[in-house]
Amino acid sequence: MDLIEIFQQVINGLSRGAIYALIAVGFAIIVNVLKFSNFAHGGVLGISAYAGYLASSQFNLSFIPVVLIGMVTGAIVAVLVEFIAFRWIRMQKGQLVYFFVTSVTMLMLLEQILVIRFGSFFDTYPYDLIKVKFINIGELSISVTYLISLAVTIVAFGLLIYVFKKTKIGIAIRAASNDMTTTSLMGINTGMVIIAAFVVSGMMGGISGVLFGISTSLSPQIGQVVVKGFIASVLGGLGSLTGVAVAAVALGLIEVFLVSTIGSGYSPVVIFALMIAFLLLRPQGFAGVSFTDKA
Amino acid sequence: MDFYIVVGIGIAANSIAVLGTFMLTGMNGLFSLGQAAFMGLGAYISAILVVNVGLPFAVAILISMLICSALAFLVGLASLRIRQDFFALVTFGFGQAVIAFFQEYVSVTGGALGFSNIPNLTTPTLAFVSLAVGIFLVWGFRRSHFLRDSLAIRSNELAAKVAGINVFKHKMIVFIIAAALTAYAGSLMAFHTRYVEPKMYGWITTVTWIIIVFFGGRDSLTGTMVGSILLLMAPELLRFTTAYRIILYCAIILIIINVRPKGLFGTWELSIKPLLRLFKRKKQEVS
Repeated sequence: MDLIEIFQQVINGLSRGAIYALIAVGFAIIVNVLKFSNFAHGGVLGISAYAGYLASSQFNLSFIPVVLIGMVTGAIVAVLVEFIAFRWIRMQKGQLVYFFVTSVTMLMLLEQILVIRFGSFFDTYPYDLIKVKFINIGELSISVTYLISLAVTIVAFGLLIYVFKKTKIGIAIRAASNDMTTTSLMGINTGMVIIAAFVVSGMMGGISGVLFGISTSLSPQIGQVVVKGFIASVLGGLGSLTGVAVAAVALGLIEVFLVSTIGSGYSPVVIFALMIAFLLLRPQGFAGVSFTDKA
Repeated sequence: MDFYIVVGIGIAANSIAVLGTFMLTGMNGLFSLGQAAFMGLGAYISAILVVNVGLPFAVAILISMLICSALAFLVGLASLRIRQDFFALVTFGFGQAVIAFFQEYVSVTGGALGFSNIPNLTTPTLAFVSLAVGIFLVWGFRRSHFLRDSLAIRSNELAAKVAGINVFKHKMIVFIIAAALTAYAGSLMAFHTRYVEPKMYGWITTVTWIIIVFFGGRDSLTGTMVGSILLLMAPELLRFTTAYRIILYCAIILIIINVRPKGLFGTWELSIKPLLRLFKRKKQEVS
């Protein structure tokens, strides 16, 4: 591999990693607030990817409205999921594992809704959604899709950081993810905070769904990409969204490099080996917050 | 009648795998997302040993169970000492790696096309007796201090450690037993459906078993088995389009877990004690 090719792969890897980071952060927000792995996030992602697809293919909308539609759909579906699958258990103060079970069930349910509406075929976003396909700089040819998804991710992260650092609701979400009981004792309506967390996470899921749909292809199983978010949020370390984002970008880079060197077939084997090596060397995750179970 | 026996064998074999998940997730609270990979390993190894090498059925099953136990030991060694969610992650990665291996090692496993021409050696007697033995085994575990150790670890690992339980060893034993049970179920399934392909053993299959355990009630062996039979039979009974079927299936699970978070049976166990008590009372009345 020469230098140009490596540079090319780095750009591809970064854009793939950026989408993974969006997925992972949407996933990790719920992990932080409610302390369980919300696999239903994949269903949210899938539905909004198809909503964006409908908007672009049926109504010929341009790129930015499509992303916005994906975002709004994601938020609505995420709140619906909260109402259907998590609210009752939360009211009964059920154990965390029940959330996990219902969230996986919701993932399967949303996937099947997509199968009923669209059939289990592969679809692609219309080609004229993003006009120019490649930019050539010297020998380097960069896909515009990748650049745009990178840009959208950066904008989304900027907004997320603004919301979490500056707005009241963002600070409330952070407080709730630190300690739910104390937050509610401070007079914050934790029910609202949880819904807000789902709205934010759903928006992230919606954007990542549309971007992932554009950069690959659409099938009802698209939601299963949420496992990348799961991997990144565990590797990234508990309670740190930055660590999660870094882990996701690293995952994207490694995947792209593996596919270009040894092919997609055996890359899960290598990723598994790397994962074990990482956990043995650095069990506290990327962020480095030392943590013991219930200590 | 034949149809019901065929369906019954499938349910019995899968229920053995559910038993493994019951021990692992239900009793010990360990979430393995790669449990189906052990089923795949059991199925592939025993099928290849019988078809390509020509070993007897029983020997092939034993070898496949041994290999799966060894692999479970290695995976456990890397993941059971650290946090719970790392265990889920490592087992998930293990499952993906195993499936990739099935798909890529085409010369032996047949790749994505699957491995066919497996003889039909799983008789109804074998399947049902195996399930009965499996249930008896888990029931035995639940009668010993093993259950109390498990519950202690599930509810508070640190406290269990302080109370003198060797947490790592206990988890390792559970993981190995679960892997061996699942591998056995995989062998039975392979010699029943006579065809295996990598796609059958993804993480969604694992998750289905976890859902079954929670549906029936993770504190009740009876509940898990009833739930397993109900939910595995549901796809055969609801014979309309696949997608609607799965939606109905998911809706039922959501309703049950929302309304009864402890599962269908809670902590209730089927036992003969009330029956015996009834007899005793009758005797007293007679005398």
